[in-house]
Amino acid sequence: MTKAMIEVTRLTKRFGDRIAVDHVSFLAKPGEVVGLLGPNGAGKTTTMRMLTGFLPPSEGGAKIAGHDIAADSLNARRNVGYLPERVPVYPDMTVREYVFFWARLRGQRDARARADAVIAQVNLSERRDTLIRNLSKGMRQRLGFAQALVHDPPVLILDEPTIGIDPRQVIEVRDTVRELGRTKTVLFSTHILSEAEHTCDRVIILHQGRIVAQGQPSDLKRKLRPDATLEEVFLSIVGAERGADK
Amino acid sequence: MTSWIVFRREIAQFLTTPFAYVIGAAVLLLTGILFNRDLNISFSTKPADPALVPGILSFAMVFFAPLLTMRMFAEEQREGTMELLLTAPVRELSIVLGKFLGAWAYFTLLLLLTGVYQVILLSITAPDLGHALSAYIGIWLYGGATLTVGMVFSALTENQIVAAFLGMVALMLLWLADQAGQLFSNIDVAIIFRTMSLQGHFSTSFASGLMRAEDVAFFAGIIAVMLFITAQILESQRWHG
Repeated sequence: MTKAMIEVTRLTKRFGDRIAVDHVSFLAKPGEVVGLLGPNGAGKTTTMRMLTGFLPPSEGGAKIAGHDIAADSLNARRNVGYLPERVPVYPDMTVREYVFFWARLRGQRDARARADAVIAQVNLSERRDTLIRNLSKGMRQRLGFAQALVHDPPVLILDEPTIGIDPRQVIEVRDTVRELGRTKTVLFSTHILSEAEHTCDRVIILHQGRIVAQGQPSDLKRKLRPDATLEEVFLSIVGAERGADK
Repeated sequence: MTSWIVFRREIAQFLTTPFAYVIGAAVLLLTGILFNRDLNISFSTKPADPALVPGILSFAMVFFAPLLTMRMFAEEQREGTMELLLTAPVRELSIVLGKFLGAWAYFTLLLLLTGVYQVILLSITAPDLGHALSAYIGIWLYGGATLTVGMVFSALTENQIVAAFLGMVALMLLWLADQAGQLFSNIDVAIIFRTMSLQGHFSTSFASGLMRAEDVAFFAGIIAVMLFITAQILESQRWHG
């Protein structure tokens, strides 16, 4: 059996009385693209922030490439490339300076060569001396990918990478994610279900911080009826939950 | 290593943004006017003060230090880059140290520029260079300490204006504590206030040409403690998300 690259065990996050993530457990293997699905506020971002080492869990834990996110945080973080929902940039830096900065901060020896390679990989070579403040939103998104990939991490965590960009770029991002998923473990969140259907090997549906369903998109659909869309699957699960709540 | 990378980023930012040049120009204008005045007086009534510029800066830093540090973490919070920094395989203290060294290097550059006043003095009179050197070493350490106080407030809030304002209030209190010492008839209370103030470790020693190990240790201690507190604040922000 292949070793899991992401191993999440009863991961929980409380903010005061509110439980944002409620005992979530799952595994992701190398070369697997896992979609984290759910409406806004389902706990997708909080889960990702715990896995990237930004937020400490309230309970439970996780391992990234075998490194515990709490006890061995620095090594866990070394193995993750992270693209937050809003691409964080330094507007006064050029594309090249920005990627080089992250390459060095993540301990790349040949940082300059790595930065140039990854800039080429995301098709920004022609813009490498452009100030980031002058880049379009789609280009910034590609730049975000570049910083996440610059240290060639085995695990990629992408928070809503297709939000707010135009349809052509959405397709580009999907292709990129699928391409990356051949060699890396990709955890990618979205609230658009058709997107997950096109991109993911497996989806995990989160609702109110808990996993309500997981499996291959086709299996989940088949359970309801053969021609169901993931939207319908999702609504049927969430609807059943609501019914149970009452 | 991490600190060095962050340091280079900070110093590059200081030297490529107009803001740092505006602050630099303001410092040089203020010290230039007062130096000119002191020089005029020195022709008639008293000798020129070799510790004049460091003395002015000891008060001016109450306002300049928070202006230099206000964007340091506040901006990273606002742009979201803090999330990337805190998920990179680096320690908070290395980030904080790199940023501090960047700001301190910029301040050092400003100090070196004011060295031009000493050159002018040397060309027309024979100033006490030992006295001047002591005052410069003092203000260099004092300036470093004020920058770390500014950094604490930049880490505390996302709002740059609030960060600058709170930093100024804190530094003003630390500056006034020196005067407050004079208000108390009880000598022990007065000494406590004086010992806590930043100004008290500069005005009575370095500014008069006196270098005391206890004052150097005081400033080094303030810098270390404030950097540690800043790193702790960053660490604690993880808990709030």
